Formats: sequence, C-alpha cells, structure tokens
Amino acid sequence: MKGRGWLVLAIAALAAASLAATAGAGSSTVTRSQAVNCKGTVKLAIVTPLTGGGGFIGQEQLTWAKFGVKNLAKKYGLKVQLLQGDTPVEKGPGEGLVVAQKFIADARVLAVIGPATSGGVASASSALHAAGIAHISPSATRTSLTQGSKKEATSSFFRVVPGDYIQGPTDANYMVDKLKVKKVVLIDFQEPYSVGLADAAEGVLKKKGVTTVRQSTSVNTTDFSSLVTRVPSDADIVFFPSQQPADAQTFGQQLLEQGKKAKVFGGDGTNSPAQFKLTGSYVSNFAPDISGIASSKALVDGWKKDNPSAQLGSFGPPTYLAVEVALNAIKKACDAGKGTIKNRKDVVKNVKKISLKTSILGGPFRFSTKSNDPLNAKFYIFQIQSNGTYKLVG
Amino acid sequence: MDTLVPLGFDVDQFTQLTLNGLTLGSVYALIALGYSLVYGILKLLNFAHGDVFMVGSFIGFGVLQLLGGSADPVVPTWLLLVLITLAAMAGCAVLGVAIERFAYRPLRDAPRIAPLISALGVSFFLAYSMQLLFGAEQRDYDAFSLSNGALFLEGFNIGNVRVPLLRIVIIVSAFALMAVLWMLVTQTRTGKAMQATSYDREAAAMMGIDIDRVIVFAFVLGSALAGAAGVLFALRAPTFASIGFLAGLKGFTAAVIGGIGSVPGAMAGGLILGFAEAYTQGYISTKWSDLLVFVILILFMLFRPQGLFGKADIRKV
Repeated sequence: MKGRGWLVLAIAALAAASLAATAGAGSSTVTRSQAVNCKGTVKLAIVTPLTGGGGFIGQEQLTWAKFGVKNLAKKYGLKVQLLQGDTPVEKGPGEGLVVAQKFIADARVLAVIGPATSGGVASASSALHAAGIAHISPSATRTSLTQGSKKEATSSFFRVVPGDYIQGPTDANYMVDKLKVKKVVLIDFQEPYSVGLADAAEGVLKKKGVTTVRQSTSVNTTDFSSLVTRVPSDADIVFFPSQQPADAQTFGQQLLEQGKKAKVFGGDGTNSPAQFKLTGSYVSNFAPDISGIASSKALVDGWKKDNPSAQLGSFGPPTYLAVEVALNAIKKACDAGKGTIKNRKDVVKNVKKISLKTSILGGPFRFSTKSNDPLNAKFYIFQIQSNGTYKLVG
Repeated sequence: MDTLVPLGFDVDQFTQLTLNGLTLGSVYALIALGYSLVYGILKLLNFAHGDVFMVGSFIGFGVLQLLGGSADPVVPTWLLLVLITLAAMAGCAVLGVAIERFAYRPLRDAPRIAPLISALGVSFFLAYSMQLLFGAEQRDYDAFSLSNGALFLEGFNIGNVRVPLLRIVIIVSAFALMAVLWMLVTQTRTGKAMQATSYDREAAAMMGIDIDRVIVFAFVLGSALAGAAGVLFALRAPTFASIGFLAGLKGFTAAVIGGIGSVPGAMAGGLILGFAEAYTQGYISTKWSDLLVFVILILFMLFRPQGLFGKADIRKV
C-alpha cells in the first residue's frame, strides 16, 4: 500500500478508536433516554459473579432470576429478556462498573438485578443512577451503602435483604443470648465487608460484657494454622466473616486439628452447604430456608422442576424477590405511561412504592420509608448438622 | 488491632508454631529446590515454577475425584495419597519438559532478559489457562473426610500439642523427597553431570556430557517436586488458579535465602522461611507475615546476595 493509503488507514483507525472511547466513556456519560414501548421486549440485566470464587452465588442467583422472569413476565403481561453480566470477585469491585456500562448503553434495559456484591454496588451505583436505572440487589449487605452520612450507593439503589448493621448485632445477640459465650475471637480480612461486620458484632459483644479478641489476616490467606494457634483455648466462638466458604471449612478443620474448642460462626458470605459443612458450626444469612415456608412451596417446586440438579440455597430466593420488585415497578411505570415508559427514572420512582402482600421469603414486603432497605427485615442463624444440612436455630 | 501475645513464654504455643513452620517450610523447600536446580544449570529464574506447583495441586484434585473423592474413595487412604502425589509429580514433570522445550530452549543463547520474559509469559499463561479451564473458585481436597477425619484428629502429642497424622505425612514426605533428590544429585551419573554442568556448561559439554539431557532432567526433577508440593499444600488448604504467583515468590525467596543454585541451601531456605512466617504470625501479627517474607528477601539481596550456602560470585578483572 502506498504512503497515502497507510495515512488514510491510520486516520480511520484513530477515528474509530475515538468513537469507541466516547461510547465507553466514564460514569458521567448518560445515554439519551429513549421511550420504551411496553408491548415490545423490555430488558432486565443481572450483574453478579457467575465465575470465580463467588461463582456459586451468581450461578444460584441466575437460576432464580431466569425462573423469576419466566414466571413473573406472564403475570405482569410483559415480554422480558434477561441479560447477564459477570463480575468475578477476583477482578475487584470495579468490574461492577465495567459491566454496568454495557447495560447503561442499552436503552431497553429498564432495571438491573444487582450488583450482587457490595463493592460492585459502590462502584456502579453512581453511573446507574445517572442513567436513571433502578438497581435492586439481592445480596449486597454492606451497611454503608444505605446508612451513614456518606452513603456509598445512590437513591436508585434498593436491596431486598437487610444490611450488615442488622447482621452483626443479630449474630452477636445470638451468641450472647443462646450460646452464652464468654469469649469470642473476631477475625477480619482487611476488606470492607468483613471489617464492617466484625466491627458491628464486636460492638454489641463488648456492650454485653463478652471478652473479645480481634485478629486480622490477609484475604489471600488459605493456611490459617498460625492464626488458629493464636485463638485462646478458652474461646467459645470464632467469628469468621469470610466471603469464601472453603476458607471457613479449612479454618474450622484447623481448629479441630489443634484441639481448640471454639466453634466457627460465619456470616452470609460463608453460606454454602457444599463447601462449609463442619458439624456444629454456625452461619448467618439474610434469607430463611424457604423450603419451610408453606406459601412458597409452589415456587420452590417450580424452580426445582427447571433446575433438577441444583441445590436449594439462600442466595436464590431473594433474587426472585428482586425480579418481582423490578417487573412490578416496570408494570406500574407502563400503566402510568399508558403503555410507554418515557424515561427509565419512572421505574425507579415505582420501585420505592412496591408493596407485596406475600413475598417468596415469607410475609409481606415493602421498602422502609427512611431508606431503600426492606422494612423489618432480619437475619437468620443456622447450625450445620452432621449430615451437612443447615438447620434454622435463630 | 491484634491482641499481642502476653509476655511469658508459652511452651505449647512455641511447639505449635514450630510445627506450623516445619509444615509450611517443608512445602516451601520443595518449591525452592525447583528454582535452585534450574538456576544452578541454566542461570535462569523460572518464574513459571510457582504455577507448576499450582497445576500439581489441580492434578492431585482431579485424580482424587477420579478415585471417588475424599468422602468415598475406591482405594485405602494411604494408597490414595500416594497415587495423587505420583500423578501430580508425573504430570508436572511432563509440563516442566514442555516448558523447557518450547519456552526456554529456543532462547538459550539469547540475552538473559529474553528467557526471563518468556518465564513470566509462561507463568501468566498457566494461571489464566487453568482459570479458563477450571474456573477461579477454590478447590478443596476435603482431606478431613478421609478416614473419618483421622488425618486431622489422630497422631501423637508433644506435651499438650497434638501432632496430627496429616502433618506427619506432609513433613515426612517432603523430607523423603528431598533425600531422594540429594541422592540423585550426588550419587548418580546424571546427578554428577548436573553438578558439572552447573559449574561450567561449556566445559561439561566438551567432556561429552549431553547438556540438553541434563537440562531436561533438571526440569523434570524440579517440576516433579513442585507437583508434590502442590498436593502436600492442598491437603491442608484449598487451592485455586492464582495461588501459584505468591507460592512461587515464596519459593523463590526461600531459594535466595539458602543460596540460589544450592540444593542444601534451598532446603534450608524453605525451612527458615516457614519458621519465620509461623513465628511472625504467632508472636507479632498475621498481617505482617507476607511483608516480612519480602523484607527478608530484600535484606539478603542487599547484604548477602549469595545466600547462606551459596558462593560469592567472584569475577576476574
């Protein structure tokens, strides 16, 4: 190719790169809102870790999101397409924003289920808010997302599960009231989730006169031998708010190996019967075992029929609830706009107003008037049985 | 803030931490040996070595599943452990040969930076390939389920400290492998050829030693040891695709401490590093142990770059 030809090619490439950069520009870019005809296909996106260490959460949430869309789209008279965005925890919280950008650019995406992780919400909420997209998380529990003077999430963020400001005190009160603990070791992993949860629990324990021992280790630690050595032999419980259930299992085994009597008490991040199955350990989670809720039996049976080899867990049902909230809000926005949603923000306004008489998690559901957290939500405590099942104890 | 150990020496705690250090150090020593074997002959830092360790842990996991898993294995526990270790060693030996053949041999006469960059490339290639193939989630051998937890709950006592069977298996296996390596290097023809090649490659070639064969043998040995280390490590802690980077760095640090290129140095360096980590975690803070490891590396590079057992590099001017 002659010199001029190369020059033309270079300029064209530069122009294309500039266009691409503009299209994928930072969080301040807002797509021009387009009216969406509710008779056409509307889009819902789920943003969750589908691969990586947290993939077990995302895969469970995805099965329930698909089931929710299949069930509820008919109920609300909508045609819904579910899009998926993978945010592996190993890529860090910033991946939430990267994935969110993709959905922001699609004018037919009216709501996002997620991001699943608190870090992902903190990263993506401003961009989603600027684009007027409601984002409803079934699992992001960090307190500072919706509480405090410097909230990390925006007013377009909602969650259908309670925050850690409830989980920490719930766990601590259970330890004191039911387990009658005298000494508790609390471990954090030098990242916001575990530090926040450990702080919240420690505050309550100290107020109630329990001796606390605080330890900290890197989130990359997999051999906890020397950390276990530091656990006092008279400690009753080790509070272990890891986001890796396999680490909770390893830690518990190493406690037994070194002859320590303390039991492991994990947070919702360790909730995985397949990976954390040490008999006698405790786990807290934001959803009950819905197989025990009579009003949800039909839904559970329907989900099992679609997913015969999957195990019923605690991360999926809140996802179904998040989908129900989203589609209900979309339907209300469609009705208000007489078959057209002129602006995605109309969906956000309607999410806040959602009130369900019965939700899949049992009982009624609506958002608190003071925040976008669920009203009167609670955490549940499970104890791991010898057959590996999680029994509800508190 | 961590609660510091109160003043007053606790014998049981010291014993437990020493046991922790010995267990960890044995694994580091096996990794470090691979670095030293290759560096001794090729003067190449094989940064892919940590990822060979990672692949070994995955091979062990795969064979464990094929043999029925920990909950219901089709062979006795002792045989299961032997088989998964041998499989990992064999698999990693083959991998080591492939890495040498395709990533390093073509660059043997290139400037030294070239094989170093190739080594980094292989490291990333292995880590991301494994992640793509098997996902990034942790894989747990679940050794606790073997023989109803016997590996963790049975053993013998030193004072009030229990020494579980699993720790005995890891430490004895690691030392046995080190002993076999030492015999191979010092008592066999090929081992002596390796030593000659490490002193002077050109002179060794002139003496009729097949250099290519010696180099391949070094990679076979080093990689097999890394595979074994992968299995021994994963029996106590979950493994995952990105574990090789930090494990490799620690193995490299151990090799430097002992004297890179020195086989006894690598063994000693691994144990020293294991003890340093365990005592730091036990007596100071678990947050500082990784930091300490790299502080030690820097101090050795500054004040004793030849390591404890290595010889200072004297150049005639």
